[in-house]
Amino acid sequence: MNVTDSDMSVSRPGTANTTNNANSGAKAPSNDFVRKLFGILERCEYPDIVRWTEGGESFVVLDTGKFTTCILPNHFKHSNFASFVRQLNKYDFHKVKKTPEEKQYSQYGELSWEFKHPFFLVHNESALDNIKRKTTAQKKSSSNDNNNILGPFEHQAPHEISSTGSVPSNVVSKEKFNLLKKKVDKLQKELDISKHENNNAKLEFQKLNSKYNTMIESLLTFKTLNDNLVNNFGTLCTTLASKGVELPQTIYDYVNLNESLNKHTTAGNMQLKSFELNNGVDSMVPGRPPTLQSAPSNLTPAADSSFHGGLPNNGERDLRNESTENSILREGFHVLLVEDDAVCIQLCSKFLRKYGCTVEVVTDGLSAITTLEKFRYDLVLMDIVMPNLDGATATSIVRSFDNHTPIIAMTGNIEDQDLITYLQHGMNDILAKPFTRDDLHSMLIRYLRDRIPLSKQHEQRQTQSPSISQTTPHSQSHSRPPLREQQSIQAASEDGSRVASSTISESDINGLIQDEPLLKKQRV
Amino acid sequence: MTIPKEVINWSILNEIISMDEDDPGFSKGLIIQFLEQASNTFEEMEVNVQQTRDLKKLDSLGHFLKGSSAALGLQSIAWVCERIQNLGRKKESGFSSTEDLGSMASSEDVTEDDAVYLDAIEKALVQARHEFSLVREELSEYYHCEL
Repeated sequence: MNVTDSDMSVSRPGTANTTNNANSGAKAPSNDFVRKLFGILERCEYPDIVRWTEGGESFVVLDTGKFTTCILPNHFKHSNFASFVRQLNKYDFHKVKKTPEEKQYSQYGELSWEFKHPFFLVHNESALDNIKRKTTAQKKSSSNDNNNILGPFEHQAPHEISSTGSVPSNVVSKEKFNLLKKKVDKLQKELDISKHENNNAKLEFQKLNSKYNTMIESLLTFKTLNDNLVNNFGTLCTTLASKGVELPQTIYDYVNLNESLNKHTTAGNMQLKSFELNNGVDSMVPGRPPTLQSAPSNLTPAADSSFHGGLPNNGERDLRNESTENSILREGFHVLLVEDDAVCIQLCSKFLRKYGCTVEVVTDGLSAITTLEKFRYDLVLMDIVMPNLDGATATSIVRSFDNHTPIIAMTGNIEDQDLITYLQHGMNDILAKPFTRDDLHSMLIRYLRDRIPLSKQHEQRQTQSPSISQTTPHSQSHSRPPLREQQSIQAASEDGSRVASSTISESDINGLIQDEPLLKKQRV
Repeated sequence: MTIPKEVINWSILNEIISMDEDDPGFSKGLIIQFLEQASNTFEEMEVNVQQTRDLKKLDSLGHFLKGSSAALGLQSIAWVCERIQNLGRKKESGFSSTEDLGSMASSEDVTEDDAVYLDAIEKALVQARHEFSLVREELSEYYHCEL
């Protein structure tokens, strides 16, 4: 299709007029109609019907009836004056408007039609080049309104667009726009989903992390237990041997090796008893030796390997004894117990006193805050669900003035989300309810190991801080045998966690304890 | 999630009983205290199911008794208490269908919805009392006296 540039941008197939006009005049491309009209006027073929006005800047149709019947069929192949006017309008001709009076006194008659165009001038053919068919955009756009997002705009200002001939080439169709919009919506949704998933993943990670920590903990506990078991088994072997029970050679060898370490049968028995009480292993009750006597041959392989793993030689055993004495849980820690349930209070404070702690009890979060404002404690055990103020909130308030005191949550709500909340509120750790004496002990060990009770720190400094191994209260344990049993277990568990958790030397730790908050070091 | 077979977890209770060594009667005193506490709590739950119909309160009562019963190793009571707690939070439906867990955010017919949970709690409370009588029986036998 041979169309002009201005037509090109919006031209669509099926615009018959445009095509015809463009094709019919080879020299004067687009305005054949105008030139034809110009010719008629210049030749002044029908002065009574149509002619230039006097000034030559416009032309006038004097007799529309004759114009329609004579001129149009001959020159324009139709006989429709309205069509002719429409055609003129397409080339941006305008009817010269007149008031009724003007019309009345017009020299061309009341019924004349005057048209003008700035470049349609008498005897000026070259100016005709400037007369261009208005772009079909107006017509097209109005019919395509629904498909065009710029429709409304174009509709309002078709003249501006057409007269300048610059229809925006970056027009986006409504269809395309909707498509894009859908895409954006889709992306937005995907983004939201991703965000959500990301959050979930983070949460999951935190969950896993806390699970991992719990695992590590139980692993350490297990190791402690295992070491303990190995000890007790060694004692048992010695006892049996001393009573003349024959043991398989492998065990016997081992017992010989460690004989010097377990000379005191009574002490061994007591250890055994405490172990049994703590773990509820009924088969280990001393009053039932027959079961054990029949068992050894079956136990041998496992026991043998564990012996070698746990206690390879005398030298290591000595080392163990040494560290045992150094890192035992001291007596005299002052613990604040925040708990609203009478049964739990009794139980927990009983356990704490067993471990040589002094206990103070408050029964809600508010009292916990006021108490901690006034007094210092080595450790706080805090229930979560309490009247007046819950433990987590109380902790976050306490943390505004006390960042040092370890605060342990005691709670039955151990869903992962809860655990994260507690830690976020500034609680150091979580002791899941119900807890055993051992659970409590390992928690005390974790936060109070190698610490000097606040109440004793003063006197400690006065005596130029003697080595810690000497401060272990041996004398007390004699008057209270059960405590001593306990200490032997503490020692073992202590040993286990030490091996796994740190290689910091004793003196380093002591140095740190003096001036730095425990919190920082204990965070894993 | 089914109720524990043994009403008492003796490895936990034994640990408490071992405290009697230097404080004779410690465990028994604690048990008696608990039994009293449990009876009172059951009464209070009953009132909240029948009269005040307060799910939130039932949640906290369940939580409360769960704590002390679990601490003493009375695991079956603790289990039922946890169920009451969850029902009070509408986290667990009476028919244990998982769908209900997700769509508990905004139910329009609140009162009717509550009734389902209150019903379930009522049943759980009957069970709790049953477990309680079993515990009392077993402990009475252990301590050789009527508790």
